[in-house]
Amino acid sequence: MQIFTNVRRFALLILSMVLSTGFLLAQEKTITGTVTAEGEGPLPGVNVTVQGTTTGAITDVNGTYKITVPGPDAVLVFSSIGYQNQSVTVGSQTAINVVMKTEVTGLSEVVVTGYTTQRRRDLTGSVGVVQPAELTAVPTGNVSSALQGRASGVTVLGNGQPGAEAKVRIRGFSSFQDNDPLYIVDGVPTQDINSLNPQDIQSLSVLKDAGAASIYGSRASNGVIIITTKSGSKGVSVSYNVYTGWQDPGKGPTNLLNTQEYADLTWLVNKNDNVPFYNPDGTQVINPIYGWIGNATPTLPSWAGNTNWYKAITRVASITNHDVSMSAGNDNSKFYAGFGARMQDGIVIYTYQNRYTGRINSEFTFLGGRVKIGENITGTYTTSQSNGVSNLGEGSPIQMGTYRGQPIIPVKWTGPDFQGLSHLFTAGDWGGTGIVAQLGNASNEVADLTRAKDNFFWNLRLVGSTYLDAKLMQGLNFRSTIGGTFFSQFTQGYTFITYENSENTGANSLRIRTDYGSDWVWSNTLTLNKTFGQHKILAVAGYEADEYGIRRGTDGTRGNYFTDDPNYRTLDNGATINALGSYYDTPTTLLSQFLRADYSFMDKYMLSATVRRDGSSRFGSAYRYGIFPSFSAAWRVSDEAFFQGVTFINDLKIRGSWGTMGNQLAVSPQNQFYSYGGSASTSFYAVNGQFSASNQGFRPTRIGNPDAKWETNVTTDIGFEATVLNNKIGIKLDWYQKKTKDLLFNPELPGIAGAATRPYINIAAMNNKGLDGELSYKDQWGDLGFDGSVVLTTYKNNIDKIANGVTFFDQSGGTTRIGTANRNMVGHPMSAFFGYQVIGLFQSDAEVASSPTQDGAEPGFFKYADLDGDGAITPADRTFIGDPNPKFTYGFNLSFTYKNFDLSTFLYGSQGNDIFNWNRWWVDFWPSFQGQKSTDLLYNSWTPDNPNTTVPKASNTSNFSTNTQVTSYYIEDGSYLRMRTLELGYTLPEATTNKVNIKSLRVYLQAVNLFTITKYSGLDPELGGDDRAFGSDTGNYPLVKNWIIGLSLNF
Amino acid sequence: MKKKNIFLIFTFAVLAILGSCKEDFLKVAPTGSLDQSLLQTKQGLDALLVGAYSMIDGVSSQFGSGWESTASNWVWGSIRGMEANKGTDAGDQPDINPIQTYTETSTNPYLNVKWREIFEAVSRCNNLITITQQTLDNGKISQADADSYIIQAKTLRGWYHFVAWRMWKEIPYLDETTNVNEVKNDQDVRSLILADLQQGLNLPEDMGAIGKFNKTVSQVLVAQAMMQMNQDYAGALPLLTSAIAGTKPDGEAIGLDPKYGEIFDIENRNGIESVYTVQYSVNDGSGAWNAGAGEVLNFPYKSGGSPGGCCGFFDPTQEFVNSFRTSNGLPLLDFSYNNDPVKNDFGIAIDAPFTADAGELDPRLDWTVGRRSIPYWDWGPHTGADWIRDQTYSGPYNPKKQVYKKSQEGTYTDISSWTSGYTANGYRMIRYADVLLLLAECQIETGDLGSARDNINLIRARAANSDGWVKNEDGTNAANYVINQYPATGYPFDTQANARIALRMERKLELGTEGHRYFDLQRWGTDYLVTELNRALAYEETMPWGTALYGGATAGPEDATYPIPQRQIDLSLGNITQNTGH
Repeated sequence: MQIFTNVRRFALLILSMVLSTGFLLAQEKTITGTVTAEGEGPLPGVNVTVQGTTTGAITDVNGTYKITVPGPDAVLVFSSIGYQNQSVTVGSQTAINVVMKTEVTGLSEVVVTGYTTQRRRDLTGSVGVVQPAELTAVPTGNVSSALQGRASGVTVLGNGQPGAEAKVRIRGFSSFQDNDPLYIVDGVPTQDINSLNPQDIQSLSVLKDAGAASIYGSRASNGVIIITTKSGSKGVSVSYNVYTGWQDPGKGPTNLLNTQEYADLTWLVNKNDNVPFYNPDGTQVINPIYGWIGNATPTLPSWAGNTNWYKAITRVASITNHDVSMSAGNDNSKFYAGFGARMQDGIVIYTYQNRYTGRINSEFTFLGGRVKIGENITGTYTTSQSNGVSNLGEGSPIQMGTYRGQPIIPVKWTGPDFQGLSHLFTAGDWGGTGIVAQLGNASNEVADLTRAKDNFFWNLRLVGSTYLDAKLMQGLNFRSTIGGTFFSQFTQGYTFITYENSENTGANSLRIRTDYGSDWVWSNTLTLNKTFGQHKILAVAGYEADEYGIRRGTDGTRGNYFTDDPNYRTLDNGATINALGSYYDTPTTLLSQFLRADYSFMDKYMLSATVRRDGSSRFGSAYRYGIFPSFSAAWRVSDEAFFQGVTFINDLKIRGSWGTMGNQLAVSPQNQFYSYGGSASTSFYAVNGQFSASNQGFRPTRIGNPDAKWETNVTTDIGFEATVLNNKIGIKLDWYQKKTKDLLFNPELPGIAGAATRPYINIAAMNNKGLDGELSYKDQWGDLGFDGSVVLTTYKNNIDKIANGVTFFDQSGGTTRIGTANRNMVGHPMSAFFGYQVIGLFQSDAEVASSPTQDGAEPGFFKYADLDGDGAITPADRTFIGDPNPKFTYGFNLSFTYKNFDLSTFLYGSQGNDIFNWNRWWVDFWPSFQGQKSTDLLYNSWTPDNPNTTVPKASNTSNFSTNTQVTSYYIEDGSYLRMRTLELGYTLPEATTNKVNIKSLRVYLQAVNLFTITKYSGLDPELGGDDRAFGSDTGNYPLVKNWIIGLSLNF
Repeated sequence: MKKKNIFLIFTFAVLAILGSCKEDFLKVAPTGSLDQSLLQTKQGLDALLVGAYSMIDGVSSQFGSGWESTASNWVWGSIRGMEANKGTDAGDQPDINPIQTYTETSTNPYLNVKWREIFEAVSRCNNLITITQQTLDNGKISQADADSYIIQAKTLRGWYHFVAWRMWKEIPYLDETTNVNEVKNDQDVRSLILADLQQGLNLPEDMGAIGKFNKTVSQVLVAQAMMQMNQDYAGALPLLTSAIAGTKPDGEAIGLDPKYGEIFDIENRNGIESVYTVQYSVNDGSGAWNAGAGEVLNFPYKSGGSPGGCCGFFDPTQEFVNSFRTSNGLPLLDFSYNNDPVKNDFGIAIDAPFTADAGELDPRLDWTVGRRSIPYWDWGPHTGADWIRDQTYSGPYNPKKQVYKKSQEGTYTDISSWTSGYTANGYRMIRYADVLLLLAECQIETGDLGSARDNINLIRARAANSDGWVKNEDGTNAANYVINQYPATGYPFDTQANARIALRMERKLELGTEGHRYFDLQRWGTDYLVTELNRALAYEETMPWGTALYGGATAGPEDATYPIPQRQIDLSLGNITQNTGH
């Protein structure tokens, strides 16, 4: 090999001598200089060539070079794998120093993978890479929601709650219990990345297939996301980024009634139901609000408001984010510090999240460069007030405020004193359902939110690691990392006495909950990185110990406070103990050995094998250990001789992998144990007849299964990566199949077995198939630069088995009032919607009589499909009526630069997913509580004169044919395309900024969620929820438009 | 080279340390829970016994919300027995709608919760028996102690099975040796239930705790089971005769409370009338789960001016109210009371004048039903429509017996949850009047009409004590109460058939809305049940609110039991089959 190189150098020397002879006497001169890498110091091995010639040089170990150029017009090109090419026109210079910038895209990019880094061109597994800039493009402040649409194979569902963590799923689902990916931040496994400041991230890789991920063995099944945070670089640099803006809640639902319309609807219902307008004695039948029910244009009482409750509970909310980062370094030390402050108010009044992050990363090199010691640590302090505003859920202010408050209820009482049902209302009091009868039971959410403004939550989280990396010999490194997480949090919630409602809270109370938790990991690896001629080997062997889920806390509520003064809120000030408890979680330990070896020959043929053996305390001794192997291979076809003629393809690599990954998250650490216990709410009894105490009682609390073992999924992946047309276009496509066997499930036991917690057993199976695709295009036309990419994600989930004799289980997705809408069934995807198929509305008594028997059937009510043809509508006629899983999701990223301007946009879409619009239950049916109702119900519902409609008759009847069943009436197409961001930036000319010693200054304007194209009628089609029951809109916290102005400054 | 060696040595040292602690590291004991071996002491068994008793209220946070399964049976016994309708509004708890229109299917979630709750209770009893046996085998308790635990566990187990039998009849029976994966519901379990309950006859009278079963309680339970399951009135008669001379589980005397209204005051939950009361406790740290969570919905809806504030359920029917009409102080046993219905305020504005019914009424009506203008405990007169959630849906009445007094709010109500309808008003599972009436029933069925009349008249005499009537603020009677005892001779205690009618009416009036009605009808025979329910339905449907509630509903012979929950049939993998007729 050495001989070959020498021969080549010799040949080059001869050649250059021959070629340069002719110009020997011209303006030929010698240029010298040093090439450094940004943040890293001198860069050896950089190719320096004179453009258009074969003259070249290579930098030495100190990064210096020397080259002879023909004249001042000569252009020097500096190139090195992993860095962007640089061109410099010589001119009059004789010394040219160049700083090489890391190449952020393309094949030479360095990708962080399991326990090591690799060049992208060497990868054999399926790895998605998200650029740091993409993680901060949409100002969500958290990594999970920033991932949306950025990596293929990753499905992300977020919501508009301040700081809300989004649901991240990699390649569908592989478990009934837990499908969260494993996050590794600087070598520390964590399941919380919400506290990480995206600004501090240097690289993010998504390990999707077994080839890439199975080195994480028993925790890799849901995919692995590896995050590396920024490190210091040589020299000193400081940057400051700030943005601020407004979140606009918008109009809210537009299909709800105003006060007069609501009164008209009341009349319509009475008319439809033939409620007699007169009592038998001839007196008028009176409605408590509108008087005589026979009045076709009901008169409103003097106190009537006309409240738009969505407007009342929302506001234009501010968002401000500051980030300062400092980096410094020299040959022996590197230092990075980042500080962030993010203040986001929610669009719901009195809600907010403020997050403050600090990070210090440093590394010291000594013993002649052989040993590095470093640390990464970040602290996050979060304080927030969510005020009961959950994303989805009945009773959350979004749901109750928007869909359940009658418009007639004034937010505040303004009129003269009025003896209401619940209270004497005087000016300034909150309005509410307690004013008169039949105002429903929704709370005045403005009152509730206002009262609760002093509630708060804080969380302090520290995540960090320290490492030692020693070069044992050339190409062999030992690395030991100890890391962990510590958190502590505190929640205070105060419940007020209310007076304005029909259902009031009679006593005040204070709940305080506080806990702490931690986890730690110690991993040790030996890495061999050797090149023998055309053979290259990268091997990692490791040993790791892990303990997580350490947690204890207390939770207490006391009631009957003498005063509601916020300064009085300590537990001991409450007169009675309502609940007092603590918890003590059982931690999990893991012990692992792993080995990975990558081999490549001639850069063309690549093979990789991984094996990991994990032992987990979650399983009984018989099944404690699991072994997870994988194999992958890649072939760079474009380097083959027969491919040389294909010039439009610059690079083509075909990959394939097979392997197994495990999951243990489904089982509790206590799953293997039989246990007893008891709590006041389940097994205590006042056996001595006490009024306000009960005797301790025990019951069996858990049925153990010592024979549970790992869930295993077997993943096959075939893909290719290509760059074509002069490297302008990049294509990446993967097909995969992920089969989970021994899936842990806790089948419901017969009631006669008692109600102790059921054990998880390895019984179920499911599979996912799909395509991940990425297409990118990059070009420059004069001053106009373009960079665009499309990311495509598909998965097709299928449940293969649940348990012996069990073919399905139902799960409630919050549609609690009519049973469960989601059925997980063999042969169907997770979370599919299951119910009666509405085939129209009954038009006449004759039609009712001639149709299959159906409880409650009458003209104007639903007619269901008799699928089994037995002449009666029975539970056997239920069918799958929708699927919340999208056919595909996609992200579009387009960015343009023109001179100092840049314009970028990012769009995200989901196609083919259905939504169960639970809000329709509340507003399209009169008897679904006396809350807000829809304009459809008033103007578009069935009457004998309006037969061609899908909205059933407005009636106070609640039965099988109206609102008590899960039916296809609630299903809507949930496809959407949303412009997540549109950003216009301007970078001040360097000439200007340099004068004031500023390296760069950019200002930008940004619109977030500018538009959403969808047929969905609810607030927002992006819906998360439990994997077994998602896609139901039970009061979604919508993503709304933000207007942002920002500035970034680099010194 | 020397440096290199140091590194290698260090590396191997690290790996050696890692390798040495392997097995122990992966053994993590469960935290916060008990191993079975820790329970094998007297204290452990005491706590398991409390755990078994704690299911007697039918409520545990493990299941549903409590209202599906509560011991008071307001859905299964009272609403199903046409004493009351669901109340609230049409779309609230819609699973009750088919139960009250006799169209419930086996997939009704209420059925499944009730089943699961009962069999969790059975499972706790069996668990107690098993661990008691182990503890005895280990020599940690005496034989006498073991017997006491096992007798109580078996008596409770018998009771829980009996509750299931009344619902479904064709039930599986489980003892401590039953394999739950194999047990079927194809055998007649009545003798097994009786054998379990009869264990309780060995218990002493004074159990040292009001919340346990004693001999008297067991006598009543055995008699009830004999009557309900086997129509064995002769067998039940001596047990009940003995029981009326018995005591409460704490050894205190039992008898009739001299004032009818006092019985339902929380203060008197363990009063003289109480043979066995399910003990409710408030503010005990359970988050109100022990505070009558099953009845929490059943309070008037007017917040601030009426108790509870939620949720307007369980509104008595007009037919039930009418049956309190008296003529010369005696009930109208031919159902002609519906020809002279009790006047109500349906559709009358709360500020419009209203005068209550002036006809003769049994005074027990106004302790059972809340109706306009009648004082409602110490909450002042009922003001009508504003106490009702949706009068057009559920009619003009409210329930009353389970409701707390205004003066008791915060003391005997729980303050830790969303409404103050969580109370200490323990369910009077067996009260003395019930025992007297069961005894009278046995006497009628065995031909002793005279004694039956005397026992019924004891109850009527108590109701006739005007000190115990609902009074206006000025001390006058709230309504025109007229009640008398049955005459010593002649109708209705002239024939067994007439006496039966009188007995049955007396149970409706005395025990109304206490969860017994449907099961009483069941005991009196399927034909009687079907006729009686259809009679009440036909009348109730003529009410202005009756169409929406009952529109077209009829009861059939299959409605004498409930369908076994489909979920349980599915989960049994074929061992449990659907009830005959469903």
